[in-house]
Amino acid sequence: MRLLGRAGGAALSLLMVAVLGFFLFRVVPGDPVVSMTRGRPTTPETQAALRAQFGLDLPLHEQFFRYFTSLLRGDLGTSFTFRRPVAEVVLERLGPTLLLVGTSTVIAVALGLWLGVLAAWRRGSAFDRVTTGVSLTLWAVPTFWLGMLLMMVTGDFFPSRGMRDTDTAPDFLSQALDVGHHLVLPSITLVAVVCAEYALVMRSSLLEELHAPYLTTARAKGLRDDLVRRRHAVPNAVLPAITLVFLRFGLVVSGAITTETVFSWPGLGLLFYDALTGPDYFLLQGLLVVTAGAVVVMNLLADVLHGVLDPRVKVV
Amino acid sequence: MRVKLGALLAAATFLVVSAPPAPARPPVVLKVAIVQQIDSLNPFLAVFQSSTEVGRLMYDPLTAYTAADQAVTEGLAHRWESSPDKLTWTFTVPDGKKWSDGVPITAHDVAFTYNLMLTDEVARTANGSFVANFASVTAPDDRTVVIRTKTPQVTMLALDVPIVPRHVWEKVGSVKDHANDTMPVVGSGPFVLTEHVAGQFIKLHANKTYWRGAPKVDELHFVYFQNSDAAVQALAKGEVDLVNRMAPAQFDSLQGKPGVTRNKAQGRRFTELVINPGAQTRTGVPIGDGHPALRDVRVRRALAQAIDLDALVQRVNLGYAEKGAGLVPPVFGKWHWRPDTSAQRPFDPAAAGAALDAAGFPRGADGTRFALRLIGRAGRAYDEQASEYLKRSMSDVGIALDVRLVSDNQLNEITTAATYDLAFSGWSANIDPDFILGLHTCAQRPGADGKGGTTDTYFCDETYDRLYARQLSEFDEDKRVEIVKQMQARFHDQVPAVVLAYDNALEGYRSDRFTRFTTQPAQGGVIMAQNGVWGYYGAEPAEHVAQAQGSRWIGLAIGGAVAVVLALAVVLVTRRRRATAEERE
Amino acid sequence: MSSKFLTHRTGVAGAAVLAVAAVVAVVAPLLIDPGSLDVTRVTAAAWQAPDARHWLGTDHTGRSVALLLAQGAGTSLFVGLTAAVLAVGIGTAVGVVSGHFGGLPAGVLLRVTDFFLVLPALVLAIALSTVLPRGLGTIILAIGLTSWPSTARMVRAQTLTIEARPFVERARALGGGHAHVIARHVLPSVVPLVLVNATLAVASAIVAESTLAFLGLGDPARISWGAMLHQAQLHGAVPQGAWWFLLPPGLAIVAVVLAFTLVGRALEAVVTPKR
Repeated sequence: MRLLGRAGGAALSLLMVAVLGFFLFRVVPGDPVVSMTRGRPTTPETQAALRAQFGLDLPLHEQFFRYFTSLLRGDLGTSFTFRRPVAEVVLERLGPTLLLVGTSTVIAVALGLWLGVLAAWRRGSAFDRVTTGVSLTLWAVPTFWLGMLLMMVTGDFFPSRGMRDTDTAPDFLSQALDVGHHLVLPSITLVAVVCAEYALVMRSSLLEELHAPYLTTARAKGLRDDLVRRRHAVPNAVLPAITLVFLRFGLVVSGAITTETVFSWPGLGLLFYDALTGPDYFLLQGLLVVTAGAVVVMNLLADVLHGVLDPRVKVV
Repeated sequence: MRVKLGALLAAATFLVVSAPPAPARPPVVLKVAIVQQIDSLNPFLAVFQSSTEVGRLMYDPLTAYTAADQAVTEGLAHRWESSPDKLTWTFTVPDGKKWSDGVPITAHDVAFTYNLMLTDEVARTANGSFVANFASVTAPDDRTVVIRTKTPQVTMLALDVPIVPRHVWEKVGSVKDHANDTMPVVGSGPFVLTEHVAGQFIKLHANKTYWRGAPKVDELHFVYFQNSDAAVQALAKGEVDLVNRMAPAQFDSLQGKPGVTRNKAQGRRFTELVINPGAQTRTGVPIGDGHPALRDVRVRRALAQAIDLDALVQRVNLGYAEKGAGLVPPVFGKWHWRPDTSAQRPFDPAAAGAALDAAGFPRGADGTRFALRLIGRAGRAYDEQASEYLKRSMSDVGIALDVRLVSDNQLNEITTAATYDLAFSGWSANIDPDFILGLHTCAQRPGADGKGGTTDTYFCDETYDRLYARQLSEFDEDKRVEIVKQMQARFHDQVPAVVLAYDNALEGYRSDRFTRFTTQPAQGGVIMAQNGVWGYYGAEPAEHVAQAQGSRWIGLAIGGAVAVVLALAVVLVTRRRRATAEERE
Repeated sequence: MSSKFLTHRTGVAGAAVLAVAAVVAVVAPLLIDPGSLDVTRVTAAAWQAPDARHWLGTDHTGRSVALLLAQGAGTSLFVGLTAAVLAVGIGTAVGVVSGHFGGLPAGVLLRVTDFFLVLPALVLAIALSTVLPRGLGTIILAIGLTSWPSTARMVRAQTLTIEARPFVERARALGGGHAHVIARHVLPSVVPLVLVNATLAVASAIVAESTLAFLGLGDPARISWGAMLHQAQLHGAVPQGAWWFLLPPGLAIVAVVLAFTLVGRALEAVVTPKR
């Protein structure tokens, strides 16, 4: 029942995302066709034809109807810039983003949770103070600035842009090595910012757990601290932390946009930035729907996961 | 578990020590940085400068321009003639030119391309204006193309339209949905498109059977950068070989960098300050809310006189520009016009002030005559800085400037609705001046519904329009040059816009890897963004292509070392865990 | 409460940093000669490394980075504070209303809150600043409108807790209307929480401002720390090796954001009773 409600809520959210996406980008001043043909000799006829091609000459309610019915079919419209279906363009850029976000999230979750656990366990120690201090500082660091700084400091050691060189040998090993080489700086940037948040969340989550009476019992049984931590406290504290990882997926998305922009990483974030400079409204609209949709789904997953993992939450 | 970790360790070590196997004779690759996306590979749809540049590499036009002096030269056609009434043009496509797949290039390919544009409005998206005056295009035989125009058209040798292979494109169902990405893409240019990864790079291979002869480089890679800053860094590091469109400060930063040569070239681009002369539609209905004072040509001239063009060039362009004059940039030699001493309007705030007094706009009690809005684009470095200068210059003559830097989209809206007084604008001119001159004719103003306008300035002047019509049908080039100069003089006199500067094109290349590029024109010309592809085609690799990859391996080694350390850490932790577990039991 | 706050050393340190920043923000525009930040009037060379005359060197136009930094403090703090006030204001209103009234309106508000809570705030803020006219107001609006939901959630929870207390029941039984209950009981009890939230919201708003400015969506007519970094990137500070144009604005952001966070955490510790 609870899950059904959640799923219903998520569906409603998706619907609202779709509506928001439309109105945000259609009810804006200006004629996109003029931007499309900027700086080139055009004729009024060509402009009118383009307007018709993109359905921009229709009344707003008809545009909305068209938009919505195609959305239901998975059609996100056509990009002004690329003259191709938005869904196709987005799909093309999904891989690099998944690689960057995936790698960074795994590292950030592992590192962040680990640091958080240690910090909470040794609450008040030098380690705790340093970890918390560093995490708070990193949380305050603008992602893009960290990226620029890393680029400046590392100089020639790492490539300054993109995902791979164009003249790398085509065999798998060379390619993988090349991508890995390019991945270092962007993932460090993304990990640093996201990991700080996870460490802080994990620390406070575990601190709450440590007050629980069963831990005292466990200690009274004579178990070593290390074991108490690993067998009892951590598993219970990890649950809310993991859920939070999913809930804070939006944070990762935001981080990815700026990181990809700084490092020219050819994923969705960079596409978003490029769409801004057009501005390619249909592409922006599609990206908003896709990213917000992904976040909504992630949140639903967090709910489900929480119910499955935590016996205290009843899933009936 | 331990076995797996050992394998991981071994793999990590292997990654560090082993370099990828080097091919026997590495191909010569020219890597070019582009900061603009590729919007489409379909030459009928592509409008971005980056895409049209790639399009020129892939497809030869009917006629081309030489590198040395930008004169008309052989493209796909090597001979052309026009009928006495100038309405019929006959082009001859010689025997022996081939598409990259070996199929001979014939007149039918040319006729097919133009007819596709004449019949399919989508195919006119990018280059439709070139065929707007065409009545018919036929190919009576394999070698001859006959184009009939509705009215005499002087730009028949400036048709910047990629000609596509008929045997490929006649199978295309809908031009709109055709991505043109079946690799390798059959073309006629010096390079053949072989790979495109969106947002990352484009690879082209030399067309070994190109009719002018194969290029001297084997591969041409366009690498996409999100901003020119990153591109300049990559050039300094040797990650790319050629960069253009640098900002002056970036250009300066490359001074004295070993292995890098800079090319300060005369560009095709100019920057202007547009003055709303009282905008009207084609039917003469006033639109917008431009300041009424600007309808007075004396006021517009006074504004122009109040701007210190030399200071703008020095402080905003950092000297990398030439002071503005006529509409056609000096790179186009004979077409360029400069005012003689009598027409000159030297910077003179006092004279400007006196002119404004005489025009009936005396200073008020606070020293201000009236206020004007200046619109620029936010994020364009030139607008952001030049607006500061103009603000000061105008206040010196008693005009308060309200600077509004807006997004691209809002800029379009404001200029379309003519709700501005002054605005920054800029254009890239072509070798044939028709396009840049045509932007200012009465007919370019929007229709009655306020749409469909392609005017730059809302300028509408009978003298100018008459001259425009005359140059369009003047087939004696010297006479046409004279008319074009008269038009520029008229434009300068009526001041619907002040041409502020002709921007230099700032380029840089790795001279340790490439010794020479062909510039257009030969003296002070550009390598990239030519009216042609001579820069890439004429690139000559250095004898020993330097392998500036040392530092890269250091980076890889660091990455590998990190992996090894991590693996070790994992081993240690698991061992410790195991020990604890054993201890408990 | 103030004495309790003083026992949090990090909080005090944060407050000290903020005091300095506030003084700079207020004093800088009064002391700095506008001519020295006018690109048309500066005489120094561009990209000068720090020396005795220009403590933090000069930017791409020859303006002193130190002066820009001081001038930018005002904009960054102003945007951070107003956006946070806007966000917390909306959040508090939504939280109190949905907590107090219940029923359909509360359900709808809760739904909307949840919706905005999951949306990636930066994406939405970017979208808003793209379609609205460039300017300070747009940035404030974009940040404020996208960062209120967490406050709303928290305030709602607190409202529900308070309203379940016996003294509120009593007030209601004695004929206290909605306005009375909200003004006399609910609001006073959420104020400390709101204060903490506002402090933390300022921190994230300043980061958000810098990010928007970096992406070129800021107010082009104003100097802010984010705008400085945008300029640094636009004009090639990294290839120039101009660390003096890249480091100071970033460090200033980190310092102020960290200070707000520390103060917020200290306040939180003060207002939240120990278990």
